[in-house]
Amino acid sequence: MKASLFVPCTYRGPAEAPGWPSPAQAYSPAAAGETFRAAIDQCRLADEVGFDWVTVAEHHFSPFCITPNPMVLAGALTQAVKRAKIALLGADIPILNPIRVAEEFAMLDAMSGGRVVAGMLRGTPNEYITYNINPAESRGRFEEALQLIRMAWTEPEPFGWQGRYYQYKTISIWPRPVQAPHPPIYMSGSSPESGEFAARNRVGLGFAVTTLPLASKASRHYRNEAEKAGWSPTGDQIIYRVTCHVADTDEQALEDLNAASAAARNASLSLALTRRTDEVIAGAGYYGRDEAQKGRVALAFSGDLKSRIENGQILVGSPETVAEQIRHIHAETGAGVLDLIPGPPHGDKALKSIELIGTRLMPLVRELN
Amino acid sequence: MGVLTQEAAEEAPFGFHQVHVEADGFRIRVLEKGAGEPLVFFHTARGIRLTPAHARLAETRRVIALEAPGFGRSPVNGRTRDMAELARTMMAAVDALSLPSFDLMGHSFGAKLALWAAIQKPDAVRTLILVAPSAIRPETWTLPVVQEGVEPEIGAKQAALFARLIGPPVDEALERRMGEITCPVLALFGTRDELIPTSFARRYRELMPKATIVFVYDAGHSITEDRPQATASLIEDFLQEPGGFLVSRTSGALSD
Repeated sequence: MKASLFVPCTYRGPAEAPGWPSPAQAYSPAAAGETFRAAIDQCRLADEVGFDWVTVAEHHFSPFCITPNPMVLAGALTQAVKRAKIALLGADIPILNPIRVAEEFAMLDAMSGGRVVAGMLRGTPNEYITYNINPAESRGRFEEALQLIRMAWTEPEPFGWQGRYYQYKTISIWPRPVQAPHPPIYMSGSSPESGEFAARNRVGLGFAVTTLPLASKASRHYRNEAEKAGWSPTGDQIIYRVTCHVADTDEQALEDLNAASAAARNASLSLALTRRTDEVIAGAGYYGRDEAQKGRVALAFSGDLKSRIENGQILVGSPETVAEQIRHIHAETGAGVLDLIPGPPHGDKALKSIELIGTRLMPLVRELN
Repeated sequence: MGVLTQEAAEEAPFGFHQVHVEADGFRIRVLEKGAGEPLVFFHTARGIRLTPAHARLAETRRVIALEAPGFGRSPVNGRTRDMAELARTMMAAVDALSLPSFDLMGHSFGAKLALWAAIQKPDAVRTLILVAPSAIRPETWTLPVVQEGVEPEIGAKQAALFARLIGPPVDEALERRMGEITCPVLALFGTRDELIPTSFARRYRELMPKATIVFVYDAGHSITEDRPQATASLIEDFLQEPGGFLVSRTSGALSD
């Protein structure tokens, strides 16, 4: 089992009105600066105490996550993080220029000496409003962009691309990726369609904002489909993202978490759209053919702590307790990479937890794969 | 010089009309449509298969598809010995049509033929368009090729002729001379082509450094059938200004 530290870069200033997009009347440049400094510090510590990866993500128009271009933060991390891989989970490729994405990933791979993990996601539904892209084209754009990016990384001669969504007369990117043939690719795999595409294209899969039964079902589907396509994903090719807080004792961990939850609630930050907008996006076929996907987000944030632990929605306790919780997730999903969101998102408790995860928890679960 | 014989209009798809031309001792079928700059087409091992791509190209130019002797309903061709010789026959047929200069497009087998033609008649071929060219093939290619959608008798005849003429997967005699081609070259490869992997495109660039390679997304070996509009628009773009092909002329501006 490998550990990644996910830094969501939630804005550390005063809470604004909930909902999306978020107005910026009360925006504080100092708070944003502090958010980035703290995120880089957490990643530096994670690297020092033995995390395998650090992770950044892409979201737009909201204090929920202030890395609309995670490539920029990842650029800073190539210099601050000396050993761990740097994962972008991801680039929301259907709303971006795929050639730009290929170039940025290649730059990061060059700057980090081959430590980039290339997550390519469809993004949350609101992202389609951000760059004015029709959400009904999300899957088609995603599939084409992924193939185009892979071609841009690997094709040594200049080439043109006559796609359905993308047309280019000539492409020949510089720099090139360090990793051969290219950085490992991951996509989000909650829907059956995603699992099938990932299996056909031999890319890794990530689960986030989910429950253990849903992820377990989706992971089985992915592995079955991979078998049909003639290969078997390794544990490293399945990522499970979950909130995690570790303290010396179970009691201390729970106390920290409760204090942090009370503070977080007042922020009410979310990427939630109005119900009407979400219906329009759902009607465009965004969620795929598994109806359970639509309610996935609500499910992932509901329930009491005990059921949330059992459902694989949060890891909390002493290193020994959390090791048990991780064994359960591994047994259910086959995941070999845990993408951990700090429970209390920042401050001393978060730093202490990161240290314990690296030094005491991970040695207990390292052999799982 | 051959003799052109115009005959009672025979049904051909997309409103193409049929004529025959006598050249090099063969009677060669020609399907033609449109007016303007001539665009000559050499078909695949499955014979002439017109697609909406050909029909669209015929809206802006004169599209002329020639049937190689031994394909379609023409008699068995036991005479032609290799691709270079077949290319000479085809160019004699083009000559009989009184076309001093033209754009030349070849698909798969026809692309290899077109390469030979461009080498033999550099002054006649204005531009060369290679669609899923099979001049360079993986060693794993098995012959005969599938003759899907072709009448069995014709399919067997065409497959045998193809197998006899196509030459080795790596054809040194041709590759040695590809560098002589100086006209603009556009080579298209389908991203789903199961016969010619996309990685083979780079070999064409090595042999003809000025060639423009374009991958047609979501197309198999039958690029013009799989994505006819995308293929035709690309070729239109290229033919309009082969030298300025790289510059986009599409406007994304919202009108008033």
